[in-house]
Amino acid sequence: MKGRLLVLLFACTAGLAAAQEAGYAVRQAELKREPFSDAASAGTLPERAEVKIVSRQGGWLRIESASGAGWVRMLSIRTGSAEGAGGDSGIKQLFNVARSGSSGTVVATGVRGLDREQIANAQPNAAELSRMAQFAASQADAERFASRAGLAAQALDYLPAAQAAGDQ
Amino acid sequence: MIPRAALAGFCMGFALGAASAPALAQFRFDLNRIIDTARQIGQASTEVDEPQEVEIGKQYAAVLLGAAPLVPDPELQRYVNALGRWLAQHAERPGLAWQFGVLDSDNLNAFATPGGFVLITRGLLARMRSEAELAGVLAHEIGHVVKKHHLNAIRKGAGMQAGANILGEFVAQRGRNPEVTSRLVSGMKEVMLRGLDKDDELEADRMGVVIAARSGYDPYGLPSVLQTLSAMNPQDSGLALLFATHPVPADRLDALDAAMGTRLERYSAAARSSEEFLRVVRRK
Repeated sequence: MKGRLLVLLFACTAGLAAAQEAGYAVRQAELKREPFSDAASAGTLPERAEVKIVSRQGGWLRIESASGAGWVRMLSIRTGSAEGAGGDSGIKQLFNVARSGSSGTVVATGVRGLDREQIANAQPNAAELSRMAQFAASQADAERFASRAGLAAQALDYLPAAQAAGDQ
Repeated sequence: MIPRAALAGFCMGFALGAASAPALAQFRFDLNRIIDTARQIGQASTEVDEPQEVEIGKQYAAVLLGAAPLVPDPELQRYVNALGRWLAQHAERPGLAWQFGVLDSDNLNAFATPGGFVLITRGLLARMRSEAELAGVLAHEIGHVVKKHHLNAIRKGAGMQAGANILGEFVAQRGRNPEVTSRLVSGMKEVMLRGLDKDDELEADRMGVVIAARSGYDPYGLPSVLQTLSAMNPQDSGLALLFATHPVPADRLDALDAAMGTRLERYSAAARSSEEFLRVVRRK
């Protein structure tokens, strides 16, 4: 019984991993030999080309496709299948089914905590709130953390909501 | 805020001077409505000061903790607090007493409450590949707190069970009236179940990538998490509430794509994972 459960868990995890690897190009995109904008070209990925995501580095995905392999900008790729994407069918329709929960229809859910019903029925938990406060970090704690992790602060402004990307 | 006395005085004078008895009764009824409306408008626009905001946020966080407790792992909770506090220092309200927590739930979700309380589920954390992804999600939530998106959402609950005046009453009662507090809690639940404005979510996404970059992280952590969500089966029960309360991940990615372009690319080589992330989060 326990063995079967483990196999089932493994199958689910493997299924997820496989699902995460698939994607498609939302626009024609240049393939690079390295994950840098000034790296040598490795070909062109046509719009809607299906890709397999091999690995990630910063804003870049290493992909394999019928048009070749290489690095492509992360935001040129959407995960999932290109079939039915864009427009009102396919993936988005599925999302809309999930979203019907917002109109009050209860979506079939297991007992996982933090579902619609559990929040609706929740009573404030003051004891847990006090416990949460015990773990709070001071500004000095945060500085020490950043120093351990080697984080270097940067100065930059927020991004305006854009109608179109300026320099794609 | 107080046109009430003036309004009443003006109307009284008019009524006494000119009305017959039935008309006077009708007029009094209307007058009460006008006064009531004026009072609600006044209260709805009452500014919530910071201590009050924190008090509201505590109530809100206590409800979430009532639905799912914290993961019983002090090291994990302290780690998320240190990272979260570091991120918060790179946004506009570094002086708040920020608190972060990991909720013991398989669901994939993250929440912010007014005043600087941020919670993320164990289920979402388990899908993350790197500390930069965690930073991106926490920074998105910090964006909601900085912009007070939840207070706005509670105010906009007018006409629903949670009226626009609840915040005002809570503020006026200083949280001492249990009946008002209980109405505020149901107002918060409405927001938790209905979600924020779509534009507020997209704004928090744009802020999240920048706060992560300011803090020394690769800003592509948040879009990377959105790609994970986008690749999952949308029927997955663990996603139901997240998808019911947020724009679909593909739309969020499109909006980030348009706003970011290649502007943040130079920060993309920044930190992505620490030894601490691998030790504290990945060992789970």
